[in-house]
Amino acid sequence: MKNLKLTTIKVKNQARTLVKVKDITIGEGFTVIAGPCSIESEEQAIETAIRVKEAGADILRGGAFKPRTSPYAFQGLGIKGLQILEKAGKESGLPVVTEVLDPRDVSWVCEYVDILQVGTRNMQNFSLLKEVGKAGKPVLLKRGMFSTLSEWLSCAEYVLAEGNPNVILCERGIRTFESYTRNTLDLAIVPSIKEVSHLPVIVDPSHGTGRLSLVERMCLASIAAGADGVMVEVHRNPAEALCDGDQSLSPPMFMSMMKKVRKLQECMVEINALDRESSK
Amino acid sequence: MELKEIRKKIDLLDSRILRILNYRMELALMAKKLKTSIEDKDREKEILERIRLNSTGLINAEFVEKVYTEIIKESKGLQQRDHRLIGFQGEHGAYGEVALRAWNSEWVSVPCAGYSAVFEGIKKGLFDYGIVAVENTLGGVVGEVNELLVNTDLYVAGAVELPVYLCLMTLPGTDHRDIRSVYSSSQALVQCHNFLERNHLEALQYYDSAGAAKMLAEDTPKSSAVIASKLAAEIYDLEIIKEDIDDFERNMTRFLILSAKANVAEGDKCSILFSTAHRAGTLFSVLEIFAKHDINLTRIGSIQSGAGNYTFFLDFIGSNKDEKVISSMEQIKKVTSSLRFMGCYKEKRVD
Ligand SMILES: [Mn+2]
Repeated sequence: MKNLKLTTIKVKNQARTLVKVKDITIGEGFTVIAGPCSIESEEQAIETAIRVKEAGADILRGGAFKPRTSPYAFQGLGIKGLQILEKAGKESGLPVVTEVLDPRDVSWVCEYVDILQVGTRNMQNFSLLKEVGKAGKPVLLKRGMFSTLSEWLSCAEYVLAEGNPNVILCERGIRTFESYTRNTLDLAIVPSIKEVSHLPVIVDPSHGTGRLSLVERMCLASIAAGADGVMVEVHRNPAEALCDGDQSLSPPMFMSMMKKVRKLQECMVEINALDRESSK
Repeated sequence: MELKEIRKKIDLLDSRILRILNYRMELALMAKKLKTSIEDKDREKEILERIRLNSTGLINAEFVEKVYTEIIKESKGLQQRDHRLIGFQGEHGAYGEVALRAWNSEWVSVPCAGYSAVFEGIKKGLFDYGIVAVENTLGGVVGEVNELLVNTDLYVAGAVELPVYLCLMTLPGTDHRDIRSVYSSSQALVQCHNFLERNHLEALQYYDSAGAAKMLAEDTPKSSAVIASKLAAEIYDLEIIKEDIDDFERNMTRFLILSAKANVAEGDKCSILFSTAHRAGTLFSVLEIFAKHDINLTRIGSIQSGAGNYTFFLDFIGSNKDEKVISSMEQIKKVTSSLRFMGCYKEKRVD
């Protein structure tokens, strides 16, 4: 990790990076990002946005440019999707995040959204990283599915080196021999990041597990692991989703998960206080 | 050419044919303002004769006569109804037309090449009204219009304050990554300067924003977009890439609705025009009269009219039926070298 100049902790008690997006501060408390895998229609996006907002989400997610394994799968609505996402954000009052795939799209995507996401498949797309580094909007950098912690931080380093300090790391599961889950959610990475880096880190249990039944548990586990937030896929009607319907929560499921999230957050305040006491 | 491409061209052409037909109907309504009877058999014969002679290629005389008989029938039908015609500067889709639709969507809006054509048209009776921009929060006053207002005997019949939403649009199906050049009016381009810079787009001046939209739809230049109103996107079948792209929070334009006759409907706002003798303190004495009568001024503008002489525009809140307005007008008359009451009217603020 000796090539990491900007992403690692250099001095004891170094201040942690706080990423401000409108009224939300990522790195303070527990930020919940929720929304559909992809924007499918105006009604779908707005209804989902309003329902996740009601349940207590802080930020809306939604894909417009989709990196699909198959070229024949739904590729997203593109600019139209961005227009809808922006509108859904305005109607619900939530800041919005979307993935940007192509360096040529970075400036355009910035016109519609508050946070740029670099997806797992693009974690090491260095020209994209440089471009988002120049863009002046916070970047949510997903962990590559075959990447080590230091490779991941190295990619964050690209963004910081361009003068953009607002990077949020996002653990989304890595490839292992385990096949029951879509990926293996590596929760140990969360406290590991906290030991070496000042950047906020969140967890994506939807892609991390690929299984609806596991999302809530892994979300709660993320809180216990010390994550700064989660990103979960919520669809107003998962059975009809054009993408990742199997791992998307319905709004009532999300609502019930959020109750537990806030409850556990309260408990964590006490637990963290104990931590501080024992470290004295 | 592939089938998809041919169909795209047909779609563009169809919407162009409709726009031209609309233009023909507008002209018919304008002609009606100048003639006494709708029925004019000689003129109809003349039109059909000319059309028959002009039919070329696949268009045979019989077909063209059928089409034109229908067009003439429709335009006579329109002429029989009582339409209010209102002139605006620019092409269809201009912000003046947007403001007008907010004021009264039943009125027929007719594009004019310039502001003076709007004034002329009202005077000649071609239009019942005209709508002109007088000031913009970013660009200041519209000098040309103020100049025309000073020298006109038209009245103000209403006002509209319109938020200007500048939108980036392209021909349907254009990939945003292919956009290189953006056409629009110089004002619109200046107001979107940062947006254009951020996205590495070249700004190309055009005489009018809606005119640029029309040009894009008709000439289909490659790798191009235009900045114009949402209405222009609807009219010219263009696809909006991004709404509200200007660099400023508050971009409002104020329009006046002009008429040859003084407004008789209720109003709560008034406009006056006056000149003062070229000596110190005369403008002050006018303002003092308003202050003493406790009348709120909403706009004051001036224009140089001849060497050392200034004419002032003044808008204030009140009705010409209010006692204090009547009394202040009488007093102002005494301290000014000329005073013209341009109208008492309602002002509409569009959100
Ligand atoms: Mn997904």
